[in-house]
Amino acid sequence: MSPLSSVSARPKFWRDVRVLRWVFQIFVLGVVFGILYWVYGNYQTNVERSSVPTSFDFLSNPASFTIPGTDFDQSSPVSAAFVRGFQNTMLVAIVGILFSTIVGTLVGIARLSKNFIVKTLASAYVEIIRNLPLLLLITFMNLAVVLQTFPRIEDAWRPFDLFVISNRGLALPWFVGSGPTLLLIFAAGVVVSLIVMKLERARADRTGQKSRAGIFATLIILGFLLVGWILLDYSWTLPFVDGRGTTGGLRMDPSFFALIVALVLYTSSHIAEIVRGSIQAVHKGQGEAADALALSPGQKMRIIILPQAFRIAMPSIGNQYLNLIKNSSLGATISYFELTQIAQITVGNGSPAVPAFTLTLMIYLSISLATSLIVNFFNRRLALVER
Amino acid sequence: MKKELTLISSLAVAALVLAGCAADDSSQPSATTTVTAQADGSTDGGAQASLLETVQAAGVVRCGTRDALPGFAVLDTSGEHVGFDSDFCRVIAAAVLGDAGAVEMVDVETADRFTALQNGSIDVLVRNTTWTATRDGAEASTFLQPNFYDGQGVMVASNSGYNSVSDMKGAIVCVAKGTTTEGNAAQESSRQGLNWEVRAFDEVDLILEAFIAGQCDGWSSDVSQLTGLRTSYPDGTNALKILPEVFSKEPLAPAVLDGDTAWASAVQWAILATIQAEEFGLTSANVDSIRSSTTDVGIQRFLGVEVATSDGSAILDPGLGLPTDFAYQVVKQVGNYGEIFARHLTPLGLERGVNSLWTDGGLLYAPPFR
Repeated sequence: MSPLSSVSARPKFWRDVRVLRWVFQIFVLGVVFGILYWVYGNYQTNVERSSVPTSFDFLSNPASFTIPGTDFDQSSPVSAAFVRGFQNTMLVAIVGILFSTIVGTLVGIARLSKNFIVKTLASAYVEIIRNLPLLLLITFMNLAVVLQTFPRIEDAWRPFDLFVISNRGLALPWFVGSGPTLLLIFAAGVVVSLIVMKLERARADRTGQKSRAGIFATLIILGFLLVGWILLDYSWTLPFVDGRGTTGGLRMDPSFFALIVALVLYTSSHIAEIVRGSIQAVHKGQGEAADALALSPGQKMRIIILPQAFRIAMPSIGNQYLNLIKNSSLGATISYFELTQIAQITVGNGSPAVPAFTLTLMIYLSISLATSLIVNFFNRRLALVER
Repeated sequence: MKKELTLISSLAVAALVLAGCAADDSSQPSATTTVTAQADGSTDGGAQASLLETVQAAGVVRCGTRDALPGFAVLDTSGEHVGFDSDFCRVIAAAVLGDAGAVEMVDVETADRFTALQNGSIDVLVRNTTWTATRDGAEASTFLQPNFYDGQGVMVASNSGYNSVSDMKGAIVCVAKGTTTEGNAAQESSRQGLNWEVRAFDEVDLILEAFIAGQCDGWSSDVSQLTGLRTSYPDGTNALKILPEVFSKEPLAPAVLDGDTAWASAVQWAILATIQAEEFGLTSANVDSIRSSTTDVGIQRFLGVEVATSDGSAILDPGLGLPTDFAYQVVKQVGNYGEIFARHLTPLGLERGVNSLWTDGGLLYAPPFR
């Protein structure tokens, strides 16, 4: 090895690009930690100086307010109010995600329809709703639809004598009996029907006969519910107007209705665009292959295009789910008792602001992270396995 | 060999960076302790770091207030804050700085008002805030002389058929969010077994819409606020009525941050000066003439005029850190309590009631100025 080559192989360490890379990485890390440390020090100093309360003891204090439509009363602890707020936020999230996915997918497909009217209506829906601020949409739903369009309780609409619709809420017929048990029966039905569907599909594949998996599954679930209903003595209750409110049935809070409709409209307009884009991103050859196999347009969409489109759409739709969950906090403006509303009210009634809002932040963060995990899980399952 | 060199040099750099961090480590906490010590010093009575001095040096009082409560604090057409609470902000500025105009009105949200006080973005909170034990304790604030004694009531439509709170079984009662209003309504409902549904909105406007559309049967708030809201109701004042029951005590008081006695006393005595002035019969109109002509030693002391003593004359300086003529400035520039009340609250139809002087059977009572 000549001296010359040894020099060229190993430059001085302050000129060695590998060393410099390391140095730079460590420098950046140092700066980041330095800033974090400085911020934390500032926080500590200021908290101490201004004696901002930071303890979470307030959670066991009596809440001293009530939550409409629940048995939560003023002697319940503040922590129970947060649990209730969490439940209501989750309710909005689940119902909202379900409906905005369905509506979004349908509108997304409709935008690609060859029918001019369908296509134009879907485009108008997307372009109008997507370009409105959500807060405005929610306020509009509350002020213009619920308060102005729905009648006063004195002259409530009673379609088929089954529903009571007024600006104090929507009352629907509901069952009397244990809800969780009914849910359990439903879940059992779903499990059994999944097994039957698998067997039926295998049979159809083996024999080449038409699969009746869908019909079987529906019948099984309905059967489970019917048997459970009779055995466990469930019954119906119909709502009726009783003075200034309604009795019987299930009463849906007017602000819940306004919030869900606004959130579903808004989120589905975004999902529709994602679905449209994803369908267009599926290779054209796939559709042509489906046509060549003489699949009907419905079959082509259901079996060939959509499964591939959803593979592409999943990460973006997941983002929309996260947005919907976070946007549900705007329900606080129209008096829907979700997490943010609970946080604001509990602060107004004597809980310290900084810890109460910190807790609220943490809960939202947990919900969002959990949703991310679930979406990522499905995304991995859907993702193309490349070999 | 090459790898080893890279490793060694990177370790060396890492050590340097970490050493740098360590140096930071040692300097940072020491800075922290100094600041904390200073803050503690002021708490223990060293007037050195009191907000009073800071405010006097800055030449402006930052007063936490709001912009949309008729009678108490609203914006007029020129963007000025006008109202009962706004005038008490000016009272403080007149006392501390000798200039009622040297006040910066900071609009704070109901939910943020104590945080604003805690983080020092306002010097004093005069924002129709109820003095409660929890706020006094848990929000690190000190409440001073209440400038208005209020109580919570319910307003209903005149044609609703409700004549008292006990008629309102199963009613929907709407309130504004972020205050004790909700808790009081819930408490009254459970006390009387009324089973109210209490809905809480962000804005008064949203309650108004819900109330007009018939979503709410009752509108609950402090009676002073209801009186103001009633006068601005679209269908006219008589379309609404306020039920006779008042079911909570709401002493609305200015608040300052805990631990700054000098500043708290200054604000306290500024408020008290308006009450004492009314008791003496001093108004912004007559204070100048009375000041030059009076022989009443009490009034002379109060206004910071020289008082004849056995060995010459002296001006009373109570040692509050305020100018000796602070009470004169308050009365001259803003007025006495009765004047401020008459200016902003009487037009709304509010009676003096419990907010009368103690000599008239009310609750307003100032300790002696001597």
